[in-house]
Amino acid sequence: MSARGILWGSTALVLLACLVLVLLIVATKVTRTLRDRRTSALVAPHRADLLAVGSGEDEDGTHRDALIAVEGPAREALDDALVDLLAKVRGVPAEELAAVLLAHGAVDRAPHDLKHRSTVRRARAAHLLGLCHVGAALPLVVDALRDPAAEVRVAATRALGLLREPSAAPPLLAAVGADRAVPAGPAGDALEQLGVGIADALRDGLLATSPTTRTVAAYLSGEGTFTRSIDLLRLSLRTDEDPVVRATAAVALGRMGRTADVAVLLEGTQTHQPIELRRACAAALGDLGDPSAVDGLRALLADPDPRIAEIAATSLLRLGPIGRAAVDGAPTNASIESARAVARLQGSLS
Amino acid sequence: MSWDGLVDGLRSTVAWLMHITSTPILIYFTVINLSYLALIVLAFVDFRAQHRRREAIVETFGGALTPGVSLVVPAYNEEAGIVTAVQALLSLRYPRHEVVAVDDGSTDATFERLRDAFDLVPIPREIPQDVPTRARVIDVHVPRDGRTRLIVVRKENSGRSEAINVGVNAATEPLVTMVDADSILEPDALLRVTQPFVDDPNRMVAAGGAIRPVNGSRVVSGRIVKVQMPTSWLARIQVVEYLRAFLLGRTGWARFGALILISGAFGIFRRDVIVEVGGLDPDSIGEDFELVLRIHRRLRDEDRDYRVAFVPEPVLWTEVPSTTSVLRSQRRRWHRGLWETLWAYRGMLFRRRYGRVGFVALPYFWIFELFAPLLEMFGIIIVPLALALGVVNVPYGILFLVLAYGLAVLVTLSAMAAEEWAFHRHERWRDLGLSLAASVLENFGYRQLTVWWRLEGWWASLRRKKQVWGVMTRTGFDEAGG
Repeated sequence: MSARGILWGSTALVLLACLVLVLLIVATKVTRTLRDRRTSALVAPHRADLLAVGSGEDEDGTHRDALIAVEGPAREALDDALVDLLAKVRGVPAEELAAVLLAHGAVDRAPHDLKHRSTVRRARAAHLLGLCHVGAALPLVVDALRDPAAEVRVAATRALGLLREPSAAPPLLAAVGADRAVPAGPAGDALEQLGVGIADALRDGLLATSPTTRTVAAYLSGEGTFTRSIDLLRLSLRTDEDPVVRATAAVALGRMGRTADVAVLLEGTQTHQPIELRRACAAALGDLGDPSAVDGLRALLADPDPRIAEIAATSLLRLGPIGRAAVDGAPTNASIESARAVARLQGSLS
Repeated sequence: MSWDGLVDGLRSTVAWLMHITSTPILIYFTVINLSYLALIVLAFVDFRAQHRRREAIVETFGGALTPGVSLVVPAYNEEAGIVTAVQALLSLRYPRHEVVAVDDGSTDATFERLRDAFDLVPIPREIPQDVPTRARVIDVHVPRDGRTRLIVVRKENSGRSEAINVGVNAATEPLVTMVDADSILEPDALLRVTQPFVDDPNRMVAAGGAIRPVNGSRVVSGRIVKVQMPTSWLARIQVVEYLRAFLLGRTGWARFGALILISGAFGIFRRDVIVEVGGLDPDSIGEDFELVLRIHRRLRDEDRDYRVAFVPEPVLWTEVPSTTSVLRSQRRRWHRGLWETLWAYRGMLFRRRYGRVGFVALPYFWIFELFAPLLEMFGIIIVPLALALGVVNVPYGILFLVLAYGLAVLVTLSAMAAEEWAFHRHERWRDLGLSLAASVLENFGYRQLTVWWRLEGWWASLRRKKQVWGVMTRTGFDEAGG
């Protein structure tokens, strides 16, 4: 082909691609608008029933029965609306909405849909199994943590939280550090919902090779006051190679530590430690509220870092009379005065 | 020499120039368009994932591991909008955030407005020098109620970068984001842009969010209530330009794992990492670009496992220049910043330890961002000249121009298609029509002007001419609506 021919061909191709894109943009807008309108029109006649069931005002079950009786294309649109609403309600209304989905066959289809070719179908199925608390589907949902699509893994993670089965904790924590990883945020949320039965899994998580898993385990140990993790949290604060894990462990110890942890946290405030860790440990000593921290915190009042000095002063002021006496007895500086001023504004110091 | 002789001489020179440059330019042209295509594909992969998440109803934000955020707001003579801006930032949906407003030696009533609105009282706080700063901090104020999480730092005037560094020093949360006082963040923007840090708390060090022009949209009390296209064509063209650059470009680069530019107008960083690398460089023109490159260099030098992300969904709305003089100043500054930063970090080029950043992203920015205006200007001069002198035949030349600008339109339309499919922020058909028109009109005048201004910026830097920041004349948001 000649140069001119190539030029003509390329230009025609580019202009054609431009035209296709314009049509695609218009078609996308039109399709979405029509789909939204159609969905609204299909759901509109049942909106009152939906709201009555969702708000718990369906005492005799007539609205629920009306929803169950919906047939045809409206049923599919209604099921989507039911799932949407189910994610926002709790208690009896949630059970009633789940009953409608069960009667529509959506819940029975979900386990099969977990193996569907469509990513969206698989993710929706996992989501639905969680929302409807289908405990029998637990192994399938756990398997979905290894799904190739990230969206399905996230949906499965959230579903496991809703299923509230502590045995899901080890695979969830393992999935956080896996090659096809589950994001730490949703995993943390899900694990929080699993209750006290996850204590051993959190201990194991603190020893995991993945720093993300260790961070999640450290965070949840502190949030849920899992005292069985304390010894490993101390170890993490002292020796973990990841600064985020160390700082998270410090915060956790501040929330649930014991007198013995004062020494561990004071170790973390030493000048050779990273500045962010020193500050986290100084604040954790305030959270811990143990009087044996007074001497260590007093020493920090003259720290060259004004932020640490202010955190130490704030921590002491929170310790009550013994801490206030330590602050009053120390040579004053801007950090101490700042901590006092903020405490006065917050009403914790007269 | 006779006129005819002069024309003949010029004709042979142009013919010679075209002869020797045609093959390199054709290669350049092919590679740049293939790279655009690659970025489009990468961006679409990312958008598809977001689309699926929405379709599958699994998209939720916030939650257990959501880290605290300090919003640093540098303010210089912002008395007109500072109170609204700070109020809007304080009321963002987020579980734990503080606003650190840094009054950079304003000569107007910026501080007084803040003091009156939030009932500020001074506290004797000493700001740590985690990031070394030159300017003196005058004082620190907090609201009297002791609850509102606002810190106002007054300092001597020393520029935006220094003001941000002071803000970083005053910040107490683990993440820091810089937001200009004249920008508007969507209520959920912070939740969305921090999601990469929630999902990967150990490795994520920086993330950028999408920025869009606010001109023409309806704003009430610092919140966007209706997204509309601007009234001027200059701003309309920038709307599609931002879509192309932010939505496609940065999403594609982030997906590739080599995002090296996060806009200073809406970037979020781990505070300890900013401190570690020494904060923003107050002497840099392209301080945001420079910071991200410095982070890459430092972390790769130390062989650390880290991530830099771009989140196309969170939106910060900012007013774009509506006059050519302001736009000229902006584009000169951007290109100068690009050149100076690329030059400063030339040592990262083609070094194994810098991976995709050194082997792909930086060479791309050198060849297709820095040198692009030079080549484009060459084309702008040589093609019409060749046509006028009869060196190339007219249909052939016009066909080439149609192809060149057709490809430019194609890239913009791809960005628009991605936007319409994944986000569809412009609801009106009229806005869609205006965007389509802007994507074509951009190539008639606007593109050529920006090419010239970018070269001006580069030239000024080469001559070591002092950068004058100029004044961004803002027309303000349409608070009344319509």
